[in-house]
Amino acid sequence: MTGSRLPISSALMTPPLLSILAFGLAPLTIVVVWSFWSWDPSTYWIKPDLSLAGYAGILEAGRWTVIVSTLVKAFATALLCLLIAYPTAYAVHFLAGRRLSIILLALITIPFFTSYLIRSFSWRLVLGRTGVLNSWLQDIGIINAPLDWLLFSNFAVVVGLVASYLPFATFPLLLSMRRVDPTFLAAAQDLGAGFWKSLTSILLPLTMSGIFAGFLFVFVMVVGSSTEVQMLGGAGASIVSVMINDVMRVANYPLAFAISTIVLIVIFGLVLIGNRMFGLASLFEDQSP
Amino acid sequence: MAISIQIDRVSREYGPVKALDDVTLDIKAGEFFTLLGSSGCGKSSLLKLIGGFDRQTSGRVAFDGKDVGNLPANKRPVNTVFQSLALFPHMSVAQNVGYGLRLKGLSGASLDSRINDALDLVELSGFGPRDVNLLSGGQRQRVALARALVMEPGILLLDEPLTGLDERLRQQMRDEFGRLHKRTGATFILVTHNQDEALSLSDRMAVMHKGRIEQVDAPACFFEMPANAFVARFVGIDTLLRPEKVVSNAGQTVATVGGQTLAVRTQGVVDAAASVIAIRPDRLFLAPQGAPHALTLTVVETTFRGLHRDLKLAFSDGQSLVIAIEADTDIGRLSAGQQVAVGLKPDAAVLISSAGLPPAG
Repeated sequence: MTGSRLPISSALMTPPLLSILAFGLAPLTIVVVWSFWSWDPSTYWIKPDLSLAGYAGILEAGRWTVIVSTLVKAFATALLCLLIAYPTAYAVHFLAGRRLSIILLALITIPFFTSYLIRSFSWRLVLGRTGVLNSWLQDIGIINAPLDWLLFSNFAVVVGLVASYLPFATFPLLLSMRRVDPTFLAAAQDLGAGFWKSLTSILLPLTMSGIFAGFLFVFVMVVGSSTEVQMLGGAGASIVSVMINDVMRVANYPLAFAISTIVLIVIFGLVLIGNRMFGLASLFEDQSP
Repeated sequence: MAISIQIDRVSREYGPVKALDDVTLDIKAGEFFTLLGSSGCGKSSLLKLIGGFDRQTSGRVAFDGKDVGNLPANKRPVNTVFQSLALFPHMSVAQNVGYGLRLKGLSGASLDSRINDALDLVELSGFGPRDVNLLSGGQRQRVALARALVMEPGILLLDEPLTGLDERLRQQMRDEFGRLHKRTGATFILVTHNQDEALSLSDRMAVMHKGRIEQVDAPACFFEMPANAFVARFVGIDTLLRPEKVVSNAGQTVATVGGQTLAVRTQGVVDAAASVIAIRPDRLFLAPQGAPHALTLTVVETTFRGLHRDLKLAFSDGQSLVIAIEADTDIGRLSAGQQVAVGLKPDAAVLISSAGLPPAG
C-alpha cells in the first residue's frame, strides 16, 4: 500500500519542500555562513575565511546593548499585548453574541488596513507636546505642563509597538479559546469555582498554546520592526533592524549577519522551549476527543 | 442532606421563543425525578435553571422553600453530570475528582481519602493517576459521576448522561444510577429522551412538550391514565381510537367505535368530541368466537416481531388497533380479512383528552 502511494505523495511534497528550502533555509544558511567571514573596511569587500570578527563587532560601539534593549522591548510588548488581547479574545469568544463578535473582530482588524508608517505617525499626533493626550490632561487639570516623555521615548515606542502588533496576539488566543469547550467552564462553576478560579485553573491552562503562540508572534514581529522606533523613538533610539540597516550601509555583511544569527538563535531557542513547555504544535492540530 | 425543589410558574423566553412556558413543579427531597421529552421540549432549559447556569424570565425557583434566583451555579448545593461529561482534559482522574474539594480548601490526606472513596463508589479504585483522555466511554462516565458525587450534593443533575454509550454500557450505567441514588440519598434529576431509562429509574417523572409539562406522575400511572394523547403516544400507547359517542350511566362509561361498544375508564368530565380512547395492547386478548363483550374485528395484517407477533385489526370504520400475540401462534386463521373476536381485560381502554393529536381529517 504505502509503497505504491509513496511516489505520488513525494511528488506532491516536492514543490512545498523545494520552496521551503529555496526561500527559507537557503537564505538562513547564507546568513549564518557569511557571519563567519571577514570584512575589509578599506575595500568594503568580504572574504570567505573563518573569522569571528563579525561577532567581535557586536561587542563594539554598544551594539550588544541594542540587542538587549530590543529583546527587552520585544518581551515587554509581547507581555502587554497578551494582557490586552486575552480579555479581548475572551469577550469576543465567550461574552459577545454572533453579531457583536463579528463587529469586534472587524474593529480589531480594520486599523491594520493602513500602513505601519501612517499608524506610527498618527501616534505622534496623540502623544506629542501639543498632542491630543497632553492637551486633554492639561484641560482636566491633572498636569500643568505638557509631559515630554510621552513622545520620542521608550514609552512611545512600546505604545506604538503594542498598537501595531496587538492582533498577532489576539488571533492565536481566539483560536485557542475556540478549542475550549464552554462546558468545561460550566463544569468548573458547577464544582464551586468562581470566575477567577475557573479562569486560572481551567481556561488559562487550556489556552497555554495560544498564549505562547501570541507571545511569540508579537516577540518576533517586534524584533524585526523598525518603523515604530524610527517614528516614535526620537534621536539615538535604536533597535536591531535599524542597527543592521546601518551596518549594511557600509556592506559589513559579516557583522550584520552575526547580529542576525544571534537574534535567530534567541528566537529559535524560544520556539523550542515553548513547544516543549506549552505544546505549541497542538494549536494547529485537529481537535482530539 | 437531600434537598427539595420548588419550581413556581417559571418561564424562560429566548426572544419570541418560549423554552419554558409557565412551568410549575414540586420535586421532593431524595426523589429520583426524570424530565422526559424529545429534543427542544424544554427539559434541558429547566435543568439549567435548577443548576444555576441560566435565569428564568419570570417565576421562582426555590430549594427547600428558599428562593435561589440570585444564587450563582458555584454557590448552589447542586452538582451536574454534563451530557458531554466535560472532564478537564489537562487533569488526571484524581485531579478531576478532587477539583471541587480543593476549591473547598481540602488538601493532603483528607483530600486523598475523599477522592479514593469517590473512586471506590464508582468502581474505579486505583484509577487516580490515569489520564482522563485515555479512558473508555464508561470509565469517563464514572469519573464524571465521581466528580459530582464527591461534593455530596443535595441535588444531582444528570443531563442525558447515557447518550453516546453503547447499549450494554447504558444498561450498566443505568443500574449504577439506581445504586448510587440509594447509596447517597440525594435528590437525583435525570434529563432524558429515552423512556426506558425514565421508567426503570424514576420515582416520578414529568413528560414535557413545547416548554410545558404534560403530566407528572409515577411511571406506572402514565400507562394507567395518560393525561392526553400526546403523553400516551410518548410512552408507547400507540392505539388511540376516536369514539363516535360516549355514554355515561351509573358510573359506567361506554364508548362506541365503528358501531361496537366498549367499556372505558374515565376521569373528570366526558367530552366525546375532544377525547380519544387509549387502548393498552397488553390488556387485549383473542377471545373465542361469540364471547360476550368481545369486539369483532377484521384482520389487516400480522407482523413478526421476534419474541411476539403484532396483529393489526380494523374496526368497520377503518380505525385500527394492534395486539401482541405469541410468536408461535398458528396464523392460518388470522389471514387478512378474517373476523376475530377480541376480549378486553379490565381497564384496557381509557378515555383521555385528544390534546396533542392532529385533528381528525
